Amino acid sequence: MSRDRRSSSFACAAAVFTLLIVSTSWAQAPGPLNAITDVPGIEVGHFPPPSSDPTSPPPITGTTVVVSRAGAVGGVSQRGGAPGTRETDLLRPENLVEKVNAVVLSGGSAYGLAAADGVMLCLEAQGVGFPVGGGHVVPIVPSAILFDPGRCAAFSVRPDASFGQAACQAAKGGPVQQGNVGAGAGARSGGSKGGLGTASTVLSNGIIVGAIVAVNSSGRTFDTAGNFFAGFIELDNEFPLIGPSSTDVVPPSNLLQNTTIAVVATSASLTKAQATKVAQMADDGLARAIKPSHGVGDGDTIFVMATGTDTRDATNLVNGIGSAAADTLSRAVVHAILAATVGDCRVQSYCQQFPQNCPK
Amino acid sequence: MKASVVCVVVLVALSSAASPAWAQVPGPNNAITDVPGIKVGHFTGNPLTGTTVVIAEKNGQGVAGGVSQRGGAPGTRETDLLKPENMVQIVNAITLSGGSAYGLAAASGVMQCLEGQGVGFPVGGGNVVPIVPSAILFDPGRCGAPFTYRPNASFGLAACSAAQSGPVQEGNVGAGAGAVSGGVKGGLGTASVVLDGGVIVGAIVAVNSVGSTFDADGNLYAASLELADEFGNLIPIHGGPPPKMPKPVGVPGGLLRNTTIAVVATNVELTKTQATKIAQMADDGLARAIKPTHTPFDGDTVFAVGTGRISMASFGDPAVGEYVIGSAAADTLSRAVVHAILSAQSTACEKSYCDLFPNACRNRKKGAQK
Repeated sequence: MSRDRRSSSFACAAAVFTLLIVSTSWAQAPGPLNAITDVPGIEVGHFPPPSSDPTSPPPITGTTVVVSRAGAVGGVSQRGGAPGTRETDLLRPENLVEKVNAVVLSGGSAYGLAAADGVMLCLEAQGVGFPVGGGHVVPIVPSAILFDPGRCAAFSVRPDASFGQAACQAAKGGPVQQGNVGAGAGARSGGSKGGLGTASTVLSNGIIVGAIVAVNSSGRTFDTAGNFFAGFIELDNEFPLIGPSSTDVVPPSNLLQNTTIAVVATSASLTKAQATKVAQMADDGLARAIKPSHGVGDGDTIFVMATGTDTRDATNLVNGIGSAAADTLSRAVVHAILAATVGDCRVQSYCQQFPQNCPK
Repeated sequence: MKASVVCVVVLVALSSAASPAWAQVPGPNNAITDVPGIKVGHFTGNPLTGTTVVIAEKNGQGVAGGVSQRGGAPGTRETDLLKPENMVQIVNAITLSGGSAYGLAAASGVMQCLEGQGVGFPVGGGNVVPIVPSAILFDPGRCGAPFTYRPNASFGLAACSAAQSGPVQEGNVGAGAGAVSGGVKGGLGTASVVLDGGVIVGAIVAVNSVGSTFDADGNLYAASLELADEFGNLIPIHGGPPPKMPKPVGVPGGLLRNTTIAVVATNVELTKTQATKIAQMADDGLARAIKPTHTPFDGDTVFAVGTGRISMASFGDPAVGEYVIGSAAADTLSRAVVHAILSAQSTACEKSYCDLFPNACRNRKKGAQK
């Protein structure tokens, strides 16, 4: 117990020291919602929708869509070893189309790529997309999936185009539901319940960075004592943790059937090349929050959407934005694990294993 | 006298050394289906658009695949998965489709079709996830068609269900149905070649290029790659009406309007890395058959698969095998482009090459039956 306290005060001192170093160049605070929707123009929709009835069974798979109706300059970092993706070639800096209208994160393994079909139809009906003449548009909708089929239901239960259509129609600004929703509904993480999380950061220069992530990792997000690897990146006491304690942790689940997928959004004006760089730096946020990450069976994929409402030239801001993106993504991972609740049929949530770390 | 004999001997020796040490003849169908383990299915819509599926298998399992994605306006699925460092080592099918990015939905139908047959990457419990990379081309709204008429999952399901070995229909079918190419009607084409040692290479392509496949006189750039009079003894034409040269820049709504997409296949066993190299070399076949190609407005994408009937060890050094197969894949893809253009039929909106240059095609009807 006393050793725990000592180690936690040491961790606290280390965190303060780290923050002092990191924050000398730019102060950081969460946005008002501490969600990716703090970035102006970013909307989020989940399907199935969050249930208001606590007795209803939780969803077992789902789709989350991040929408930028005005279009956001896109980039991607795809470093996991078992990806399932759409339209990532389009995002390479040398290719023509610069702006994406939405990014779809979905369960269902590669079958779940069908959700993006529905998002495209939804956005087309709203006139949102890349103009191709005659008033017609082709919505630009990159997508990545995670593996969750067959965990708590028949293998054939998976997101299809209707999931994407419904998630797109539900997209809005404002608070974002976390935990067992959308693409995180069926997620697992290192033997515990995974889920969906979000976070945001306002830099001292006014640029806003937000992240949303569906954590379905082979690796863990916390050590055997319940300490989150990314706990030290906390801003403003956003993680309601009391203190770590030892307990048995269930071993990691099937190592070859995972994937963590995320979107980072920023109000900055980035080129595609800069957005790609920010995606690469943001990916380090996964590395700090999940051990191991980018494994053979993880299709880890990070998208960036730069909405450009902050019109400053970002040439000298990319480093700060990328650093903030990594930290914001790490925090979103912790939020996902803290918000995950019991409901998955065979694994416990973090808060079930460490209830003292999750005060009501 | 003596000198000229020596000269001839040297020339013969040189030419046999310089020319490939492998004979080249088209396969029996001059189609990608000449590669054992390859099946092709089309579904053609009305108005003209459609989907073409290439299914690849060895002993009921998928085979190694690679991709070269060099066009500037691509629409793709599952190309990250094909990177050599990534885990999944097989593909079960490649989907080529019209419909711009909307047409990526066709691959969802192909996945349903293959799952119904138990074909896919095994994920435990007898379940499979079919691995179906895909690329699309831009054809919506052409020739008065409603912009919203486009391939969806049902196109992929139908094309997959129709997949078979044997002859492959060309021209205004499948992914090439709505295609245009440098001001004339584009289309779908296929070709194959049989090399020494029983090595077979096939290609299938939907030609929907900004660039043209022929010069202002109507000479097809890739005509010299003809094998066995397959193009019907094309006759160079002089003085025919010059083709309308495309103007991709500055035309309202002229962006994102093209893309040539292809699959090459061989019966040789490939790793993902080798398949990637062969896709890259095959891509040069587009460069030789289409000018310009890989432009900002083309999403040109070439997939490669190896169905594993012959060991790469038959080449000794695997790099030699990649060289031989990659070279043949490029030529075969160029020839498939010519077949696509020669097989295309005029529509109310675009003339076919053969209607624009009837002189050039005058021997084709009797000379190029497949």
